[in-house]
Amino acid sequence: MIDLFIALSPLLTVGFGGLLLMLAEALGKPANNTGMSPDGAVVVDAGAGRSEELGLLATVILFSGAASSMGVWLADPATLGVELVSPWLQVDRYSLFFSFILCISGGLCTLLGGGYLEEHKIDRGEFFTLVVFSTVGAIALGFAGDLLTVFVALETMSLGVYCMIGLRRSSPRAGEAALKYFLLGSFAAAIMMFGAALLYAATGHTDLAGIGAFVGGLGGEASGETAMVIVGMLLMLIGMAFKISAVPFHMWAPDAYEGAPTPTTSFMAAAVKTAAFAVLLRILLIAFGDPRLMSWGAGWPPVMACLSVLSMTIANVIAGRQSSVKRMLAYSSISHAGYLLMGVCAAMRLPEEASASVMFYLAGYCISTIGAFGALILCGSRGKEAVSYADLAGIGRRHPAAAAAFALFVISLAGMPPTAGFFGKLYVFRATIDAELYSLAIIGLLNSIVGAYYYMKVLVFMYMREPIPGAPIAIPMRSSMVVSALIIAAALVVAIGVLPGALLEMAAVAAAALS
Amino acid sequence: MLPGSVVEHYLALSGAIFTLGAMGFLMRRNVLIQLMSIELMLNAVNLLLVSYNRVHAGNMTGQVFAFFVIAVAAAEAAVGLAIVLSYFRIRGTVQSDEADSLRH
Amino acid sequence: MVDSYLPMFLTFAISLIACTVMFTFGHFLGPKNPSPAKNMPFECGNDTEGAKFTRMNVKFYLTAILFVVFDIEVVFIYPWAVLFKGLGWVGFATMLMFIVSLLVALVYTWKKGGLEWES
Repeated sequence: MIDLFIALSPLLTVGFGGLLLMLAEALGKPANNTGMSPDGAVVVDAGAGRSEELGLLATVILFSGAASSMGVWLADPATLGVELVSPWLQVDRYSLFFSFILCISGGLCTLLGGGYLEEHKIDRGEFFTLVVFSTVGAIALGFAGDLLTVFVALETMSLGVYCMIGLRRSSPRAGEAALKYFLLGSFAAAIMMFGAALLYAATGHTDLAGIGAFVGGLGGEASGETAMVIVGMLLMLIGMAFKISAVPFHMWAPDAYEGAPTPTTSFMAAAVKTAAFAVLLRILLIAFGDPRLMSWGAGWPPVMACLSVLSMTIANVIAGRQSSVKRMLAYSSISHAGYLLMGVCAAMRLPEEASASVMFYLAGYCISTIGAFGALILCGSRGKEAVSYADLAGIGRRHPAAAAAFALFVISLAGMPPTAGFFGKLYVFRATIDAELYSLAIIGLLNSIVGAYYYMKVLVFMYMREPIPGAPIAIPMRSSMVVSALIIAAALVVAIGVLPGALLEMAAVAAAALS
Repeated sequence: MLPGSVVEHYLALSGAIFTLGAMGFLMRRNVLIQLMSIELMLNAVNLLLVSYNRVHAGNMTGQVFAFFVIAVAAAEAAVGLAIVLSYFRIRGTVQSDEADSLRH
Repeated sequence: MVDSYLPMFLTFAISLIACTVMFTFGHFLGPKNPSPAKNMPFECGNDTEGAKFTRMNVKFYLTAILFVVFDIEVVFIYPWAVLFKGLGWVGFATMLMFIVSLLVALVYTWKKGGLEWES
């Protein structure tokens, strides 16, 4: 029993930490700068004006979640009596790998939030509780080995994110972004649930391994069960394509990313996408890992390949035409979903190598994208976010440290050495080529060349342009929390870029636990 | 255990309800009605789970699943209505096609 | 199989026919001479005034939603209560964790002023 608590400690640490954070927010002493409501009454909100301390507490909780994931990884989860919670929660090295990445991403986002919220006058303590609970959902999504836990974890993660987007309640753009993401997100969840219900109806199982075994036992001839399994699988894939924002299910993403406060955007781009890929890989390989469903003629590989090509191409073309850096990063995150789906496709022939490459890519992508959004936060101040390329003009000369950090993360997103992004791309492309999906690899390669153009545009504006005379010049904000988040992210990006072997080895061990 | 032919009627009914919900979500522009459509889709899910629990009668998985769907749907509705409310306070409308200020 | 649904269809059909007949005859045969006095609500309290749709105070919404959110959790407590003995201490501890997290949520709501009606 104690063993089991140790095995589940990443989830329990973050979950009970979230409850603690709620109490700390509600019971703590209200700060002095509480706001005024429109009719002149003083609003006393216990969580307001304390974003530094609450942010720090949330970061500590999330980083200790990461530490306990690492601890359980080292202690070998298989020996910890985890079959009691199996198949609902699968505590294996695959899920621990993701719980580690997700805790780190969440912790970096709360650090960013600690600086951002105060600077932009949306100093509400709810944000941190929501990040922590969303991270709980994301971790549980990595652990989930049953459609029931997939659903509950997915909703736990999403509900928190919906609220985090609408945090700035006076802004019509934020309200709109929250509304759009909420409507499409819950629509997608409902579609996915119907798929899950069909799978249960056909197979009598909700655990992924049971579904996989039943599908493997189905005969080749057409039957009602086969039809229901295929339809259920497609509906589940549609639901998950919404969550990873793959084209053509990406309509919500640019609007939601742009309208949300930037720390929320970074959480969505990093943690939500990572958790969705974690569960996507597990469902595809465990529940639909039957050789017939993994074949090129029938099953999911052609669907994933189409989504991959569309996501890469369309998102890259649109991203190049954006004038807002935040929106460009939103489209860039869609195109990254495309590269990742390429790796998912390769998992049809080489499950272990391809999953490991996707996991490596996700780790690098998470940290680089949070860093890029964090650098964007650092470049704007006093209620005015740096959003357009023009706002960044001349930053490189005026604020070399902020510009250097931004440049590093953008280079990593573009996939150039010596950064984490380069090796992520390298491994995903290698897995795709090893799986003999040559045309997919060529399309991906062309796309990363196109993608480099708009990433380089950021560098050009920062280092080679001067602001137009008379234009308002963005003054970078000062926040030790944002700076420390950027330092951690930069250190990780460079460390993975210089020594990719250790992480790749971990990813390979984790991927081996999956099959 | 229900005879197979009867349970297929439940499958058809549930599919019809789900389709109605999906059509309602896609065709109506009033956010509240879109929310109701989502609830309708989730109810189709519940119907399917509960009726097929009779076919796979060995355990209660389907019924327990339906409980979770109900509880999560309530949480989703609470958050959704809060978002709609805060949107209405700013914009004075609940039409989702008027939510276009992010495009420009 | 269709036979077993026959009584239900018959009930539908008969009620549909009965309604149609009654409304049709009433519509065509009944005398109609409305007057302001007749259009007033008959002995139903005060006369109505003001707009038909008014905006409600947001507190009603908040209370209703809090009720729904806390109320629905009973869905998980019923099955546990039915199987109380079979689940033993593990079940009890699990449910205790569940209730404690709800309690934290209640304290949070309270402290954040979600339950204040007067202010």
